[in-house]
Amino acid sequence: MQTVKMVISGAVNAGKTEFIRSISEIEVVSTERRATDDTRMIKKETTVAMDFGRIAIGPDLVLHLFGTPGQKRFDFMWEILSEGMLGLVILVDSTRPETFRETNRIIDFFISYRDTAYVIAANKQDRPNAWSPEELRLALRQPPHIKVLPCVASDRESVKNVLLELLYVIQERSEE
Amino acid sequence: MALEGNIRDFGLSDFLYLVDRGDKTGGLYLSRGQETALLFFERGKLVMAVRRPEDQQPDLLVRLGLLTESQLARARASLAARGNGATLTEVILAENLAPREQLQGALQSFSEEAVYGLFGWPEGEFRFEHNQRPDPAAPTIPSPISVDHLIMEGSRRIDELGRIKDRIPSTDLVVRFLDQPGVRIKGIKLSTEEWRVIARINGRDTLAEIAQKTNLKEFDVCRIVYGFLTAGLVEVVKKPVPMPLARGGPVETSRVKRSLVNRIISRIKGM
Repeated sequence: MQTVKMVISGAVNAGKTEFIRSISEIEVVSTERRATDDTRMIKKETTVAMDFGRIAIGPDLVLHLFGTPGQKRFDFMWEILSEGMLGLVILVDSTRPETFRETNRIIDFFISYRDTAYVIAANKQDRPNAWSPEELRLALRQPPHIKVLPCVASDRESVKNVLLELLYVIQERSEE
Repeated sequence: MALEGNIRDFGLSDFLYLVDRGDKTGGLYLSRGQETALLFFERGKLVMAVRRPEDQQPDLLVRLGLLTESQLARARASLAARGNGATLTEVILAENLAPREQLQGALQSFSEEAVYGLFGWPEGEFRFEHNQRPDPAAPTIPSPISVDHLIMEGSRRIDELGRIKDRIPSTDLVVRFLDQPGVRIKGIKLSTEEWRVIARINGRDTLAEIAQKTNLKEFDVCRIVYGFLTAGLVEVVKKPVPMPLARGGPVETSRVKRSLVNRIISRIKGM
């Protein structure tokens, strides 16, 4: 059985758990704990280890989806999770500009050492105060060739679209 | 839809960059305690900036010595007669009530100083209203000014290490020019120290090495590079380290078989 891995990352409360939950075929394995630090102000429970989802591609191939912990103190996990990944989805809470710097730090981390295929998912586009994907591109200082996609992590079709767009990026870079 | 936030989290220079590169038109409202500011942009350029509500009024032109009371009254009457689309500034120029250079110089300086003062705000709520324009009778700058220029000058006035550290966390980072910096960057004027630093940017030297070679303090180099970075001229990256070739190690995207990717695409599409 061959497995391939995609990583879903982003700042605290960007919507990583919900994103994986929307598309995974299995109940998402999530080690959520009651938040005890500053994240408590944002959500009651936050991901302190990782989320894990799974999609069977065929009898011999499985896609694993890993959500990274959002808090800085779990940075060490990112490197472990990023080993051997096929691609990366960076989720951004489009309604909270205070998380954009942290999002940039996460992007820098993942792309500084590896030639990583990634897309940015501008989550919570269904909220009235959401920044548009094009505004997010400028705020995050992403070049025009990086896809910044509208997303609602609770909506399966929206999540599918983000994964497909990432796969098209990977497809372009793949070999015959 | 308005863009809202706090400049503590998303700095003024970051917002100005967004306005510039996004060719935004609209009004930016800022407030911190009792202090307020209002900036108007037209297609990414600044047309007016005021720190007090009364400075949006045409009387500002009299207070700045650009017009007499009677000239202003004449201009306002003409504006009322012209109606749709005209602005007070256009009327003043069309009727030669003040020389263009004088009007440009005075209103530009006034607005620039209003903006530079905002770079010292450690925090403050902002709200950007898309496509909002100043009142036609407001004292707007005849030729809107480049935001890049404001970012560079504003950055020169930043002396808070914390804010710089947000973008430049370490002096071990390498500075390199962006492949395609904004075309508007060409108009930026640099100080002698800034030229010394820019001449040393080669994509290999770290900030610490640049400081050593220019005999500048590391903090000064960081502050200068922060300005270049904020204006979208350069980027800072980690110094590349040779990656060990691990057996059975990570699968690099470029080595993935297309047939495998196609299978995953088909599966996701069918979900």
